[in-house]
Amino acid sequence: MGRKRTSKRASRNHYVTYVLFVLAGIMLLGSAVGSTRAALTYRSDNYMREISVSQIGVTLLENGKVVSSRDYDKDEWKISTNRGGAYTSGALFQNLLKKDESLVLNKKYDENLAVRNSGTIDEYVRVRIYKYWMQGGKKITTLSPDLIDLNLVNGDTWISNPDNTRECTELYHKGILASGAETKTFTDTVRISGKVAAEAQILQEGNVVKTVYKYDGAEFHVDVEVDAVQTHNAQDAIKSAWGVDASALGIL
Amino acid sequence: MKIVKKYGKVIGMSAAALAMTAALTIESSMAYFTTYVSAGGSEVIHLGTQTKIHEEVENMVKHIRIENTSDNDCFVRVKVMWGTTFLDVKVTDADGSGNWYDGGDGYWYYKPVLRARELTSVLDAKIELPENFDKDSFDVIVFHECIPAVYDDNGNPDWKLSLNAVGEGVD
Repeated sequence: MGRKRTSKRASRNHYVTYVLFVLAGIMLLGSAVGSTRAALTYRSDNYMREISVSQIGVTLLENGKVVSSRDYDKDEWKISTNRGGAYTSGALFQNLLKKDESLVLNKKYDENLAVRNSGTIDEYVRVRIYKYWMQGGKKITTLSPDLIDLNLVNGDTWISNPDNTRECTELYHKGILASGAETKTFTDTVRISGKVAAEAQILQEGNVVKTVYKYDGAEFHVDVEVDAVQTHNAQDAIKSAWGVDASALGIL
Repeated sequence: MKIVKKYGKVIGMSAAALAMTAALTIESSMAYFTTYVSAGGSEVIHLGTQTKIHEEVENMVKHIRIENTSDNDCFVRVKVMWGTTFLDVKVTDADGSGNWYDGGDGYWYYKPVLRARELTSVLDAKIELPENFDKDSFDVIVFHECIPAVYDDNGNPDWKLSLNAVGEGVD
């Protein structure tokens, strides 16, 4: 009797195991069926047609010219920059100065930066601007990034992150940027403050008094990053991609 | 412990199935379409400026011109000094163009920006000696100073801003 009961219990356990296993299999198949169905909707018996779906892309423009773009097209990322070749990052200020012209202090140079949606789907866009100084291959922390005056414009379209720092400015484009559309510019000029020349040392060499400027030969740097994210399920997508609350920032 | 022993396999398989299903769910929720581009640029700031004096003396008049020998635009000013009381020196803008003007602080200022490798117009320093002058020699010294040119908001070089930038400015 005892052996029979044990055998019955064992077979009941196996039965439960099999049922659960089959259920798990059905759940897995179920999730796969969804995508299979989706794939089938793109095809008909009579003809084949290429359909552009979910091809996200973004382009940074400087004074109306393409600096850098990254578009998803035909199952691959197409990256192009104004540097050409295998570069993945574009070059700013290539036409800031004319040939043999030196940069002068306090002068405003045109620097119209904007973003184009070069993909086939609508998107939300964010830009990050980094400003810093370098000298002799090292970052200068004693020279303020504020002396690099990249003039921000169209504040009604570009929402500043309240947590912006002197070095990093984050701007969020308000509303959806439709496929093929361009944003208003987010900067219009760049100017280096004359205060750069304030720190100097007077040296006497014979009957010549020489002023040696501390930041002579320093380089100002501006880096710009543009991020784009899908508009579908935007709140979650933006939270996941950028880590911010889009509603709270007022960009949706 | 009995329960674990009894339903161990069941729990294990259920957990595995759940984990696989969860894994599929996670993958789909993370697959947002995103893209990005980046660009960077830089320029060097040249602040060093240097000038050289060109002098010609003719009939007790020093014809002074200043040359910008650096690669950067600058502003220049000149001070003429002499060490004796018996002579006088009259400084004038030679061609009357108004390029040189008396700043009232002992300096003569050259109003236009002096572009790289260019020369100023002529500033005359006329030395006036007394009639009974009997010394062998005397000194008339010309100091010339330059500062990097700083521009205003309209893109014009500005003397005051330039002086402000080097900490010698006036409000």
